[in-house]
Amino acid sequence: MTRFVLGTVASFGLAAVVWEAFARSGLFSPALSPSLAVILPALAQMIVSGTIFVHIAYTLYRILWGLGLAALLGVPVGILMGRFKAVERFVLPLVSVLSPIPSLAWVPLFILWFGLGDAASIALVLYAATFPIVLNTWTGVRSVNRIWIRSAETLGAGARDLFQKVVLPGSLPFVIAGLRQAFARSWIAVVGGEMIAATSWGLGWVIFDSKEFLRTDVMLSTLVVIGFLGLGFERLIFQAVERRTVGRWGMVRTVGT
Amino acid sequence: MFRTPTVLYLRRAALSLAQLALPFVVVAILWEGFALLGPFPPRLFPRIGKIVSAFVRLIVTGILPLHAAETLLRLAAGFFLGAVVGVTVGMLMGRYRWAEDLLVPVVSVGNPIPGLAYAPLFVLWFGLGNLPAVLLVGFSATFPVVVNTWTGVKAVKDIWIRAAETMGATDRQLFRKVVLPGALPYVLTGLRLGLARAWRVLIAVEMLTSVSIGLGWLIFGAREFLNTDVMLAGIAVIGLVGLALEKFVFEHIEQYTVVRWGMLER
Repeated sequence: MTRFVLGTVASFGLAAVVWEAFARSGLFSPALSPSLAVILPALAQMIVSGTIFVHIAYTLYRILWGLGLAALLGVPVGILMGRFKAVERFVLPLVSVLSPIPSLAWVPLFILWFGLGDAASIALVLYAATFPIVLNTWTGVRSVNRIWIRSAETLGAGARDLFQKVVLPGSLPFVIAGLRQAFARSWIAVVGGEMIAATSWGLGWVIFDSKEFLRTDVMLSTLVVIGFLGLGFERLIFQAVERRTVGRWGMVRTVGT
Repeated sequence: MFRTPTVLYLRRAALSLAQLALPFVVVAILWEGFALLGPFPPRLFPRIGKIVSAFVRLIVTGILPLHAAETLLRLAAGFFLGAVVGVTVGMLMGRYRWAEDLLVPVVSVGNPIPGLAYAPLFVLWFGLGNLPAVLLVGFSATFPVVVNTWTGVKAVKDIWIRAAETMGATDRQLFRKVVLPGALPYVLTGLRLGLARAWRVLIAVEMLTSVSIGLGWLIFGAREFLNTDVMLAGIAVIGLVGLALEKFVFEHIEQYTVVRWGMLER
Protein backbone atom coordinates (compact mmCIF):
# COMPACT_ATOMS: atom_id res chain seq x y z
CA MET A 1 0.00 0.00 0.00
CA THR A 2 2.76 2.44 0.96
CA ARG A 3 4.54 1.37 -2.19
CA PHE A 4 1.42 2.25 -4.16
CA VAL A 5 1.12 5.68 -2.52
CA LEU A 6 4.81 6.44 -3.01
CA GLY A 7 4.59 5.27 -6.61
CA THR A 8 1.57 7.47 -7.26
CA VAL A 9 3.23 10.52 -5.73
CA ALA A 10 6.45 9.89 -7.65
CA SER A 11 4.45 9.31 -10.81
CA PHE A 12 2.52 12.57 -10.71
CA GLY A 13 5.61 14.39 -9.47
CA LEU A 14 7.55 13.14 -12.47
CA ALA A 15 4.71 14.04 -14.83
CA ALA A 16 4.67 17.55 -13.32
CA VAL A 17 8.43 17.94 -13.72
CA VAL A 18 8.32 16.75 -17.33
CA TRP A 19 5.46 19.13 -18.09
CA GLU A 20 7.23 22.02 -16.36
CA ALA A 21 10.43 21.39 -18.31
CA PHE A 22 8.41 21.24 -21.53
CA ALA A 23 6.51 24.42 -20.66
CA ARG A 24 9.64 26.41 -19.82
CA SER A 25 11.75 25.01 -22.64
CA GLY A 26 10.38 27.65 -24.98
CA LEU A 27 9.43 25.03 -27.56
CA PHE A 28 6.01 26.62 -27.67
CA SER A 29 5.19 30.09 -26.44
CA PRO A 30 4.00 30.27 -22.80
CA ALA A 31 0.50 31.11 -24.03
CA LEU A 32 0.34 27.71 -25.71
CA SER A 33 2.04 25.62 -23.05
CA PRO A 34 1.46 27.36 -19.72
CA SER A 35 3.48 26.34 -16.68
CA LEU A 36 1.87 24.75 -13.65
CA ALA A 37 2.06 28.12 -11.90
CA VAL A 38 -0.60 29.28 -14.37
CA ILE A 39 -2.63 26.07 -14.69
CA LEU A 40 -3.18 25.42 -11.00
CA PRO A 41 -4.60 28.90 -10.23
CA ALA A 42 -6.88 28.56 -13.25
CA LEU A 43 -8.14 25.25 -11.91
CA ALA A 44 -8.54 26.70 -8.43
CA GLN A 45 -10.42 29.65 -9.82
CA MET A 46 -12.80 27.40 -11.76
CA ILE A 47 -13.44 25.41 -8.59
CA VAL A 48 -13.93 28.44 -6.34
CA SER A 49 -16.26 30.22 -8.74
CA GLY A 50 -18.10 26.93 -9.22
CA THR A 51 -18.16 27.05 -13.02
CA ILE A 52 -16.41 23.72 -13.31
CA PHE A 53 -19.22 22.08 -11.34
CA VAL A 54 -21.83 23.49 -13.69
CA HIS A 55 -19.90 22.07 -16.64
CA ILE A 56 -19.61 18.73 -14.89
CA ALA A 57 -23.32 18.74 -14.07
CA TYR A 58 -24.29 19.41 -17.69
CA THR A 59 -22.00 16.70 -18.99
CA LEU A 60 -23.23 14.18 -16.44
CA TYR A 61 -26.84 15.08 -17.18
CA ARG A 62 -26.31 14.27 -20.86
CA ILE A 63 -24.34 11.13 -20.23
CA LEU A 64 -26.76 9.75 -17.64
CA TRP A 65 -29.77 10.31 -19.85
CA GLY A 66 -28.06 8.69 -22.81
CA LEU A 67 -26.65 5.82 -20.81
CA GLY A 68 -29.94 5.24 -18.99
CA LEU A 69 -31.90 5.09 -22.23
CA ALA A 70 -29.25 2.83 -23.73
CA ALA A 71 -29.53 0.44 -20.77
CA LEU A 72 -33.33 0.45 -20.96
CA LEU A 73 -33.10 -0.39 -24.64
CA GLY A 74 -30.00 -2.55 -24.74
CA VAL A 75 -30.50 -4.94 -21.84
CA PRO A 76 -33.97 -6.17 -22.91
CA VAL A 77 -32.86 -6.50 -26.53
CA GLY A 78 -29.76 -8.42 -25.47
CA ILE A 79 -31.81 -10.74 -23.27
CA LEU A 80 -34.36 -11.37 -26.01
CA MET A 81 -31.51 -12.11 -28.41
CA GLY A 82 -30.06 -14.62 -25.99
CA ARG A 83 -33.40 -16.31 -25.34
CA PHE A 84 -34.99 -16.37 -28.77
CA LYS A 85 -33.09 -17.44 -31.84
CA ALA A 86 -35.43 -15.47 -34.12
CA VAL A 87 -34.65 -12.18 -32.36
CA GLU A 88 -30.95 -12.94 -32.54
CA ARG A 89 -31.14 -13.63 -36.26
CA PHE A 90 -32.98 -10.37 -36.80
CA VAL A 91 -30.96 -8.03 -34.59
CA LEU A 92 -27.42 -9.35 -34.93
CA PRO A 93 -26.86 -8.34 -38.58
CA LEU A 94 -28.09 -4.82 -37.81
CA VAL A 95 -25.87 -4.51 -34.76
CA SER A 96 -22.80 -5.79 -36.56
CA VAL A 97 -23.26 -3.25 -39.33
CA LEU A 98 -24.09 -0.28 -37.10
CA SER A 99 -21.69 -0.81 -34.23
CA PRO A 100 -18.41 -0.23 -36.14
CA ILE A 101 -19.64 3.23 -37.19
CA PRO A 102 -18.00 5.69 -34.78
CA SER A 103 -20.73 7.56 -32.96
CA LEU A 104 -19.10 10.88 -33.74
CA ALA A 105 -19.61 10.32 -37.46
CA TRP A 106 -23.29 10.94 -36.74
CA VAL A 107 -22.73 14.33 -35.10
CA PRO A 108 -23.29 16.50 -38.17
CA LEU A 109 -26.44 14.59 -39.06
CA PHE A 110 -27.75 14.64 -35.48
CA ILE A 111 -27.23 18.39 -35.38
CA LEU A 112 -29.42 18.73 -38.44
CA TRP A 113 -32.04 16.39 -37.00
CA PHE A 114 -32.11 17.46 -33.37
CA GLY A 115 -30.64 20.93 -33.47
CA LEU A 116 -27.75 22.15 -31.34
CA GLY A 117 -27.89 21.41 -27.65
CA ASP A 118 -28.79 18.63 -25.27
CA ALA A 119 -30.86 16.42 -27.57
CA ALA A 120 -28.04 15.89 -30.07
CA SER A 121 -25.53 15.03 -27.33
CA ILE A 122 -27.95 12.63 -25.63
CA ALA A 123 -28.77 10.92 -28.93
CA LEU A 124 -25.05 10.57 -29.52
CA VAL A 125 -24.45 8.96 -26.13
CA LEU A 126 -27.40 6.67 -26.75
CA TYR A 127 -25.90 5.55 -30.04
CA ALA A 128 -22.47 5.02 -28.55
CA ALA A 129 -23.69 3.14 -25.47
CA THR A 130 -26.38 0.84 -26.86
CA PHE A 131 -24.24 -1.59 -28.86
CA PRO A 132 -21.77 -2.64 -26.16
CA ILE A 133 -24.70 -3.21 -23.80
CA VAL A 134 -26.63 -5.29 -26.34
CA LEU A 135 -23.63 -7.40 -27.34
CA ASN A 136 -22.47 -8.07 -23.80
CA THR A 137 -25.94 -8.90 -22.47
CA TRP A 138 -26.46 -11.27 -25.35
CA THR A 139 -23.14 -13.00 -24.66
CA GLY A 140 -24.00 -13.10 -20.96
CA VAL A 141 -27.34 -14.83 -21.45
CA ARG A 142 -25.77 -17.38 -23.76
CA SER A 143 -22.95 -18.07 -21.35
CA VAL A 144 -25.19 -18.97 -18.41
CA ASN A 145 -24.08 -22.41 -17.35
CA ARG A 146 -26.36 -25.09 -18.89
CA ILE A 147 -26.12 -27.14 -15.71
CA TRP A 148 -27.63 -24.33 -13.65
CA ILE A 149 -30.59 -24.09 -15.99
CA ARG A 150 -31.10 -27.84 -16.05
CA SER A 151 -30.89 -28.19 -12.31
CA ALA A 152 -33.31 -25.32 -11.78
CA GLU A 153 -35.69 -27.00 -14.20
CA THR A 154 -35.31 -30.33 -12.43
CA LEU A 155 -36.08 -28.63 -9.15
CA GLY A 156 -39.28 -27.39 -10.74
CA ALA A 157 -38.56 -23.74 -11.52
CA GLY A 158 -41.09 -22.08 -13.79
CA ALA A 159 -40.05 -19.99 -16.77
CA ARG A 160 -40.34 -16.87 -14.68
CA ASP A 161 -38.28 -18.18 -11.76
CA LEU A 162 -35.74 -19.54 -14.19
CA PHE A 163 -35.35 -16.11 -15.71
CA GLN A 164 -35.33 -14.11 -12.50
CA LYS A 165 -33.23 -16.39 -10.33
CA VAL A 166 -30.89 -18.05 -12.81
CA VAL A 167 -30.57 -16.32 -16.17
CA LEU A 168 -30.56 -12.75 -14.94
CA PRO A 169 -28.01 -13.12 -12.13
CA GLY A 170 -26.01 -15.54 -14.25
CA SER A 171 -25.56 -13.04 -17.03
CA LEU A 172 -24.97 -10.08 -14.74
CA PRO A 173 -21.15 -10.10 -14.92
CA PHE A 174 -21.42 -9.59 -18.65
CA VAL A 175 -24.14 -6.97 -18.33
CA ILE A 176 -21.94 -5.00 -15.95
CA ALA A 177 -18.98 -5.38 -18.27
CA GLY A 178 -21.22 -4.06 -21.04
CA LEU A 179 -22.28 -1.05 -19.00
CA ARG A 180 -18.66 -0.35 -18.22
CA GLN A 181 -17.67 -0.44 -21.86
CA ALA A 182 -20.72 1.64 -22.69
CA PHE A 183 -19.65 4.26 -20.18
CA ALA A 184 -16.15 4.47 -21.65
CA ARG A 185 -17.63 4.96 -25.11
CA SER A 186 -20.22 7.48 -23.93
CA TRP A 187 -17.53 9.46 -22.21
CA ILE A 188 -15.77 9.87 -25.54
CA ALA A 189 -19.01 10.55 -27.37
CA VAL A 190 -20.24 13.18 -24.94
CA VAL A 191 -17.00 15.16 -24.94
CA GLY A 192 -16.80 15.03 -28.72
CA GLY A 193 -20.48 15.80 -29.13
CA GLU A 194 -20.27 18.77 -26.82
CA MET A 195 -17.37 20.20 -28.78
CA ILE A 196 -19.36 20.24 -31.96
CA ALA A 197 -22.98 20.39 -30.86
CA ALA A 198 -23.20 21.98 -27.40
CA THR A 199 -24.14 25.57 -26.90
CA SER A 200 -22.92 26.97 -23.61
CA TRP A 201 -22.05 24.37 -20.97
CA GLY A 202 -20.30 21.04 -20.70
CA LEU A 203 -16.73 19.83 -20.28
CA GLY A 204 -16.22 19.26 -24.00
CA TRP A 205 -17.65 22.63 -24.83
CA VAL A 206 -15.44 24.51 -22.39
CA ILE A 207 -12.30 22.98 -23.92
CA PHE A 208 -13.40 23.86 -27.39
CA ASP A 209 -14.49 27.36 -26.41
CA SER A 210 -11.22 28.07 -24.59
CA LYS A 211 -9.40 27.62 -27.86
CA GLU A 212 -10.98 30.81 -29.16
CA PHE A 213 -9.48 32.76 -26.29
CA LEU A 214 -6.19 30.87 -26.19
CA ARG A 215 -6.96 29.87 -22.62
CA THR A 216 -4.72 26.80 -22.63
CA ASP A 217 -4.68 26.88 -18.82
CA VAL A 218 -8.46 26.33 -18.73
CA MET A 219 -8.18 23.62 -21.39
CA LEU A 220 -5.56 21.71 -19.44
CA SER A 221 -7.43 22.07 -16.15
CA THR A 222 -10.56 20.69 -17.77
CA LEU A 223 -8.60 17.81 -19.29
CA VAL A 224 -7.33 16.86 -15.85
CA VAL A 225 -10.88 17.03 -14.47
CA ILE A 226 -12.13 14.81 -17.30
CA GLY A 227 -9.41 12.27 -16.61
CA PHE A 228 -10.07 12.06 -12.89
CA LEU A 229 -13.85 11.95 -13.34
CA GLY A 230 -13.57 9.08 -15.82
CA LEU A 231 -11.23 7.23 -13.51
CA GLY A 232 -13.54 7.93 -10.57
CA PHE A 233 -16.54 6.48 -12.36
CA GLU A 234 -14.60 3.41 -13.32
CA ARG A 235 -13.03 2.82 -9.91
CA LEU A 236 -15.74 3.98 -7.53
CA ILE A 237 -19.03 3.20 -9.20
CA PHE A 238 -18.48 0.23 -11.45
CA GLN A 239 -16.09 -1.59 -9.16
CA ALA A 240 -18.42 -1.00 -6.20
CA VAL A 241 -21.39 -2.37 -8.14
CA GLU A 242 -19.34 -5.36 -9.16
CA ARG A 243 -18.22 -6.04 -5.63
CA ARG A 244 -21.73 -5.76 -4.21
CA THR A 245 -23.31 -8.10 -6.73
CA VAL A 246 -21.35 -10.58 -8.77
CA GLY A 247 -18.25 -10.35 -6.57
CA ARG A 248 -20.24 -11.13 -3.47
CA TRP A 249 -21.98 -14.04 -5.13
CA GLY A 250 -18.54 -15.44 -5.89
CA MET A 251 -18.94 -15.31 -9.66
CA VAL A 252 -15.92 -13.18 -10.45
CA ARG A 253 -12.85 -12.15 -8.58
CA THR A 254 -12.94 -8.42 -7.95
CA VAL A 255 -9.88 -6.29 -7.50
CA GLY A 256 -9.06 -4.31 -4.43
CA THR A 257 -11.30 -6.01 -1.89
CA MET B 1 -36.00 -35.36 -59.60
CA PHE B 2 -33.54 -36.36 -56.94
CA ARG B 3 -31.83 -33.80 -54.77
CA THR B 4 -28.13 -33.57 -55.25
CA PRO B 5 -26.06 -32.10 -52.41
CA THR B 6 -25.49 -29.02 -54.53
CA VAL B 7 -29.19 -28.28 -54.73
CA LEU B 8 -29.55 -28.73 -51.00
CA TYR B 9 -26.55 -26.52 -50.41
CA LEU B 10 -27.90 -23.83 -52.72
CA ARG B 11 -31.25 -23.94 -51.05
CA ARG B 12 -29.69 -23.59 -47.63
CA ALA B 13 -27.52 -20.72 -48.84
CA ALA B 14 -30.54 -18.95 -50.29
CA LEU B 15 -32.43 -19.41 -47.05
CA SER B 16 -29.65 -17.99 -44.88
CA LEU B 17 -29.18 -15.13 -47.32
CA ALA B 18 -32.89 -14.33 -47.03
CA GLN B 19 -32.57 -14.45 -43.26
CA LEU B 20 -29.64 -12.08 -43.39
CA ALA B 21 -31.47 -9.71 -45.70
CA LEU B 22 -34.71 -9.62 -43.74
CA PRO B 23 -33.69 -7.17 -41.00
CA PHE B 24 -32.25 -4.77 -43.55
CA VAL B 25 -35.41 -4.93 -45.64
CA VAL B 26 -37.54 -4.19 -42.57
CA VAL B 27 -35.33 -1.25 -41.59
CA ALA B 28 -35.40 0.04 -45.15
CA ILE B 29 -39.20 -0.06 -45.17
CA LEU B 30 -39.35 1.77 -41.83
CA TRP B 31 -36.85 4.33 -43.11
CA GLU B 32 -38.87 4.94 -46.27
CA GLY B 33 -42.08 5.24 -44.30
CA PHE B 34 -40.49 7.75 -41.95
CA ALA B 35 -38.99 9.71 -44.82
CA LEU B 36 -42.39 9.94 -46.52
CA LEU B 37 -44.63 10.51 -43.50
CA GLY B 38 -42.28 11.73 -40.78
CA PRO B 39 -41.84 15.30 -39.57
CA PHE B 40 -38.56 15.95 -41.39
CA PRO B 41 -38.45 17.61 -44.79
CA PRO B 42 -36.91 15.35 -47.48
CA ARG B 43 -33.79 17.53 -47.50
CA LEU B 44 -33.01 16.47 -43.93
CA PHE B 45 -34.21 12.88 -44.15
CA PRO B 46 -33.57 11.63 -47.68
CA ARG B 47 -35.18 8.53 -49.14
CA ILE B 48 -33.06 5.45 -49.70
CA GLY B 49 -33.02 5.88 -53.46
CA LYS B 50 -31.34 9.24 -53.03
CA ILE B 51 -28.74 7.88 -50.63
CA VAL B 52 -27.90 4.99 -52.92
CA SER B 53 -27.60 7.23 -55.94
CA ALA B 54 -25.38 9.62 -53.98
CA PHE B 55 -23.26 6.65 -52.95
CA VAL B 56 -22.93 5.42 -56.52
CA ARG B 57 -22.24 8.91 -57.83
CA LEU B 58 -19.51 9.52 -55.27
CA ILE B 59 -17.88 6.17 -56.00
CA VAL B 60 -17.99 6.55 -59.75
CA THR B 61 -16.57 10.05 -59.73
CA GLY B 62 -13.81 8.78 -57.45
CA ILE B 63 -14.55 11.28 -54.69
CA LEU B 64 -15.36 8.71 -52.03
CA PRO B 65 -12.35 6.46 -52.73
CA LEU B 66 -10.09 9.52 -52.63
CA HIS B 67 -11.39 10.61 -49.22
CA ALA B 68 -11.27 7.05 -47.90
CA ALA B 69 -7.67 6.56 -49.07
CA GLU B 70 -6.55 9.78 -47.40
CA THR B 71 -8.26 8.80 -44.16
CA LEU B 72 -6.74 5.32 -44.22
CA LEU B 73 -3.28 6.76 -44.80
CA ARG B 74 -3.69 9.00 -41.78
CA LEU B 75 -4.99 6.08 -39.75
CA ALA B 76 -2.01 3.93 -40.73
CA ALA B 77 0.51 6.62 -39.82
CA GLY B 78 -1.12 7.43 -36.50
CA PHE B 79 -1.73 3.84 -35.53
CA PHE B 80 1.85 2.84 -36.35
CA LEU B 81 3.11 5.62 -34.09
CA GLY B 82 0.80 4.57 -31.26
CA ALA B 83 1.64 0.88 -31.65
CA VAL B 84 5.41 1.39 -31.53
CA VAL B 85 5.30 3.70 -28.52
CA GLY B 86 2.63 1.64 -26.78
CA VAL B 87 4.32 -1.74 -27.10
CA THR B 88 7.67 -0.30 -26.00
CA VAL B 89 6.26 1.44 -22.95
CA GLY B 90 4.08 -1.56 -22.06
CA MET B 91 7.07 -3.92 -22.27
CA LEU B 92 9.12 -1.63 -20.03
CA MET B 93 6.28 -1.50 -17.51
CA GLY B 94 5.95 -5.28 -17.54
CA ARG B 95 9.66 -5.95 -17.19
CA TYR B 96 10.83 -3.28 -14.75
CA ARG B 97 9.21 -2.58 -11.46
CA TRP B 98 10.32 1.07 -11.38
CA ALA B 99 8.75 1.76 -14.76
CA GLU B 100 5.53 0.18 -13.56
CA ASP B 101 5.46 2.21 -10.35
CA LEU B 102 6.09 5.44 -12.21
CA LEU B 103 3.79 4.96 -15.14
CA VAL B 104 0.70 3.13 -13.87
CA PRO B 105 -0.89 6.19 -12.17
CA VAL B 106 -0.26 8.45 -15.16
CA VAL B 107 -1.63 5.84 -17.55
CA SER B 108 -4.73 5.23 -15.43
CA VAL B 109 -5.59 8.91 -15.39
CA GLY B 110 -4.67 9.43 -19.03
CA ASN B 111 -6.54 6.40 -20.32
CA PRO B 112 -10.12 7.59 -19.62
CA ILE B 113 -9.53 11.04 -21.15
CA PRO B 114 -11.10 10.91 -24.62
CA GLY B 115 -8.38 11.57 -27.20
CA LEU B 116 -10.68 14.04 -28.82
CA ALA B 117 -10.54 16.30 -25.76
CA TYR B 118 -6.94 17.09 -26.69
CA ALA B 119 -7.91 18.09 -30.21
CA PRO B 120 -8.18 21.85 -29.58
CA LEU B 121 -4.85 21.82 -27.74
CA PHE B 122 -3.16 19.90 -30.54
CA VAL B 123 -4.56 22.36 -33.04
CA LEU B 124 -3.03 25.24 -31.10
CA TRP B 125 0.30 23.42 -30.85
CA PHE B 126 0.64 21.92 -34.29
CA GLY B 127 -1.66 24.01 -36.44
CA LEU B 128 -4.45 22.70 -38.61
CA GLY B 129 -4.14 19.83 -41.03
CA ASN B 130 -2.44 16.46 -41.06
CA LEU B 131 0.12 16.76 -38.29
CA PRO B 132 -2.24 17.25 -35.33
CA ALA B 133 -4.64 14.62 -36.71
CA VAL B 134 -1.95 11.95 -37.03
CA LEU B 135 -0.37 12.79 -33.67
CA LEU B 136 -3.72 12.73 -31.91
CA VAL B 137 -4.64 9.39 -33.47
CA GLY B 138 -1.31 7.97 -32.35
CA PHE B 139 -1.71 9.41 -28.89
CA SER B 140 -5.19 7.92 -28.39
CA ALA B 141 -4.15 4.53 -29.76
CA THR B 142 -1.20 4.34 -27.36
CA PHE B 143 -3.15 3.84 -24.14
CA PRO B 144 -4.96 0.56 -24.83
CA VAL B 145 -1.76 -0.83 -26.34
CA VAL B 146 0.24 0.11 -23.24
CA VAL B 147 -2.28 -1.33 -20.79
CA ASN B 148 -2.68 -4.61 -22.64
CA THR B 149 1.01 -5.13 -23.37
CA TRP B 150 1.80 -4.51 -19.72
CA THR B 151 -0.86 -7.02 -18.62
CA GLY B 152 0.41 -9.48 -21.21
CA VAL B 153 4.02 -9.37 -20.04
CA LYS B 154 2.88 -9.84 -16.47
CA ALA B 155 0.67 -12.76 -17.48
CA VAL B 156 3.55 -14.76 -18.95
CA LYS B 157 3.70 -17.91 -16.84
CA ASP B 158 6.49 -17.96 -14.28
CA ILE B 159 7.13 -21.60 -15.06
CA TRP B 160 7.99 -20.80 -18.66
CA ILE B 161 10.48 -18.18 -17.57
CA ARG B 162 12.04 -20.41 -14.94
CA ALA B 163 12.21 -23.31 -17.33
CA ALA B 164 13.96 -21.17 -19.92
CA GLU B 165 16.35 -19.84 -17.31
CA THR B 166 17.15 -23.32 -16.08
CA MET B 167 17.97 -24.34 -19.59
CA GLY B 168 20.40 -21.45 -19.77
CA ALA B 169 18.54 -18.81 -21.78
CA THR B 170 20.23 -15.43 -21.83
CA ASP B 171 18.25 -12.30 -21.07
CA ARG B 172 17.88 -11.57 -24.71
CA GLN B 173 16.73 -15.06 -25.60
CA LEU B 174 14.34 -15.04 -22.68
CA PHE B 175 12.76 -11.89 -23.99
CA ARG B 176 12.59 -12.88 -27.64
CA LYS B 177 11.61 -16.51 -27.27
CA VAL B 178 9.47 -16.53 -24.13
CA VAL B 179 8.21 -13.13 -23.01
CA LEU B 180 7.40 -11.73 -26.44
CA PRO B 181 5.43 -14.70 -27.78
CA GLY B 182 3.86 -15.30 -24.37
CA ALA B 183 2.55 -11.76 -24.21
CA LEU B 184 1.44 -11.68 -27.83
CA PRO B 185 -2.26 -12.57 -27.37
CA TYR B 186 -2.61 -9.59 -25.05
CA VAL B 187 -0.54 -7.34 -27.28
CA LEU B 188 -2.76 -8.22 -30.21
CA THR B 189 -5.88 -7.46 -28.18
CA GLY B 190 -4.32 -4.13 -27.27
CA LEU B 191 -3.51 -3.35 -30.88
CA ARG B 192 -7.03 -4.24 -31.86
CA LEU B 193 -8.54 -1.95 -29.23
CA GLY B 194 -6.02 0.72 -30.17
CA LEU B 195 -6.98 0.53 -33.82
CA ALA B 196 -10.68 0.74 -32.98
CA ARG B 197 -10.03 3.79 -30.85
CA ALA B 198 -7.79 5.37 -33.46
CA TRP B 199 -10.49 4.91 -36.06
CA ARG B 200 -13.14 6.55 -33.88
CA VAL B 201 -10.94 9.48 -32.98
CA LEU B 202 -9.74 10.01 -36.51
CA ILE B 203 -13.21 10.50 -37.95
CA ALA B 204 -14.02 13.11 -35.32
CA VAL B 205 -10.66 14.82 -35.49
CA GLU B 206 -10.98 15.30 -39.22
CA MET B 207 -14.05 17.36 -38.48
CA LEU B 208 -12.14 19.58 -36.05
CA THR B 209 -8.73 20.10 -37.65
CA SER B 210 -10.15 20.86 -41.08
CA VAL B 211 -7.95 18.58 -43.12
CA SER B 212 -8.81 19.16 -46.75
CA ILE B 213 -9.65 15.56 -47.67
CA GLY B 214 -11.00 12.77 -45.48
CA LEU B 215 -14.17 10.89 -44.66
CA GLY B 216 -14.84 12.84 -41.46
CA TRP B 217 -14.38 16.07 -43.31
CA LEU B 218 -16.62 14.89 -46.14
CA ILE B 219 -19.50 14.38 -43.71
CA PHE B 220 -18.87 17.58 -41.83
CA GLY B 221 -18.52 19.64 -45.00
CA ALA B 222 -21.72 18.17 -46.45
CA ARG B 223 -23.65 19.59 -43.51
CA GLU B 224 -23.07 23.13 -44.74
CA PHE B 225 -24.96 22.33 -47.90
CA LEU B 226 -27.59 20.15 -46.20
CA ASN B 227 -26.40 17.23 -48.33
CA THR B 228 -27.79 14.58 -46.02
CA ASP B 229 -27.57 11.96 -48.76
CA VAL B 230 -23.82 12.51 -49.04
CA MET B 231 -23.50 12.41 -45.26
CA LEU B 232 -25.30 9.08 -45.01
CA ALA B 233 -23.27 7.64 -47.88
CA GLY B 234 -20.11 8.73 -46.04
CA ILE B 235 -21.32 7.19 -42.80
CA ALA B 236 -22.00 3.92 -44.66
CA VAL B 237 -18.44 3.86 -46.00
CA ILE B 238 -17.07 4.59 -42.53
CA GLY B 239 -19.02 1.65 -41.16
CA LEU B 240 -17.83 -0.65 -43.94
CA VAL B 241 -14.18 0.31 -43.47
CA GLY B 242 -14.49 -0.19 -39.70
CA LEU B 243 -16.04 -3.60 -40.21
CA ALA B 244 -13.34 -4.59 -42.71
CA LEU B 245 -10.52 -3.50 -40.38
CA GLU B 246 -11.96 -5.60 -37.59
CA LYS B 247 -12.84 -8.68 -39.64
CA PHE B 248 -10.04 -9.00 -42.13
CA VAL B 249 -6.98 -7.44 -40.58
CA PHE B 250 -6.95 -8.69 -37.02
CA GLU B 251 -8.62 -12.06 -37.33
CA HIS B 252 -5.97 -13.01 -39.87
CA ILE B 253 -3.07 -11.86 -37.72
CA GLU B 254 -4.46 -13.85 -34.81
CA GLN B 255 -4.98 -16.87 -37.01
CA TYR B 256 -1.38 -16.86 -38.17
CA THR B 257 0.22 -16.31 -34.79
CA VAL B 258 -1.40 -17.12 -31.48
CA VAL B 259 -4.09 -19.47 -32.77
CA ARG B 260 -1.53 -21.45 -34.74
CA TRP B 261 0.67 -21.75 -31.69
CA GLY B 262 -2.32 -23.14 -29.80
CA MET B 263 -2.49 -20.27 -27.31
CA LEU B 264 -5.95 -19.13 -28.21
CA GLU B 265 -8.98 -21.09 -29.31
CA ARG B 266 -10.92 -19.98 -32.29
